[in-house]
Amino acid sequence: MNRNYFFLTALMLLLAIGTMFLSKSEQQKQIEPDKLLWEIIQPTRYVSTDEVAKLIIQNDPSIELIDVRTPKEFAEFSLPNAINIPLDSIVTTSSLEYFGIPGMNVIFFSNDAIQADQGWVMTKRLGFDATYVMKGGLNRWIETIIQPTEPKETAPQTEFDIYQFRKGAQIYFTGAKVETTTNAKKNKVVIKRRKKTVTASGGC
Amino acid sequence: MNVHDLNPKKTLITLVAFTLLLVIGFFTMNKPLLSYQLNLEQSLADLKLEEACFQPADLNAFLTQDSKDIILIDIRDRFSFGQGHIPGAKNISAYDLSQEENIELLNEYKMNKVTVVLYGNDQLQANGSWMLFRQVGFDNVKVLLGGYNYYLAHAKDLMASKDLTDYKLGSAKYDYAKLAQAKNEISSSSTTTKKKPIKIRRKKKKAVASGGC
Repeated sequence: MNRNYFFLTALMLLLAIGTMFLSKSEQQKQIEPDKLLWEIIQPTRYVSTDEVAKLIIQNDPSIELIDVRTPKEFAEFSLPNAINIPLDSIVTTSSLEYFGIPGMNVIFFSNDAIQADQGWVMTKRLGFDATYVMKGGLNRWIETIIQPTEPKETAPQTEFDIYQFRKGAQIYFTGAKVETTTNAKKNKVVIKRRKKTVTASGGC
Repeated sequence: MNVHDLNPKKTLITLVAFTLLLVIGFFTMNKPLLSYQLNLEQSLADLKLEEACFQPADLNAFLTQDSKDIILIDIRDRFSFGQGHIPGAKNISAYDLSQEENIELLNEYKMNKVTVVLYGNDQLQANGSWMLFRQVGFDNVKVLLGGYNYYLAHAKDLMASKDLTDYKLGSAKYDYAKLAQAKNEISSSSTTTKKKPIKIRRKKKKAVASGGC
């Protein structure tokens, strides 16, 4: 056997071992930065509080609400059936199990949309699709769903339709009493029932 | 008799050619324009850095031309930019930011230690781009808190915003739990006068139905 063969074999082995160290640096699959930037530019990830309310009311089984606030804030108040994954622990392996479930749409929310958006970017970097951000966060949730304001009288009909929906949603989420009317001048409504004149007597 | 024994230098030539090929391949490899410099944990920690954000009050230094090492980049589209922008800002829309020439420009700013401040209409609009550029290693990129809208509302007195915190996002504006639980107290804001409850009188049954089958 030639001495050169040993030499070449040793070199090949060395290179092969070298490649093992290369792949170690990147454990999780990530999408390319320019692809991520492209995704970031798209405004399609935002959903409004109205849409979220509608999905909750309809009991949509495909939505997964992720609360990225702290556990303390989560304990005080959150949306129905929300899962708490604080932003700090969003890329841990146990948290990542909640993402990428086929057929599930993940909706991130926080006090406003900033933390939720940051959570969205982090999971997007890992290549998860079907993730959304509730625009305005819980602050807007309160402003629109829990305490909706009535549109001006000159507002277009669509705004009144939205308002009607929000009033309905308010009742759904808080159990508030139904407001019959907001007109203060209205007098007492007295309902007069026609008296039955003759009581039923006897039978067949 | 081996073929290599005829030309002892043959192995060496092959070896040199092989390594040369590897070296050439390595240098001519198509390098991606951007690559992540911060891993996931570092990126998350980076979000909390105070110095990664640009306070509205600091805009004064830029507007008065006192500091030459700040560059403002308006990432909105040209139409919005044309309608109004912070004086002296450069318009590179988010769509164009990833173009090679703009990346080179950012690299140049980084070399010269120039702070690049990104802004959109609000902080949210610039949030994603800001995160990405910090993750790919541009640690001179900052985001303008409050965005253009806040600037527009406070343009006359930006210094006053130093003591304010209303541009800082992330905190709860309301006591959610209280509002969501106050079941019967919630009423529409338009009703100011007291409303009298509507009494519904139910008819009393006068007589018992007697008889029957």
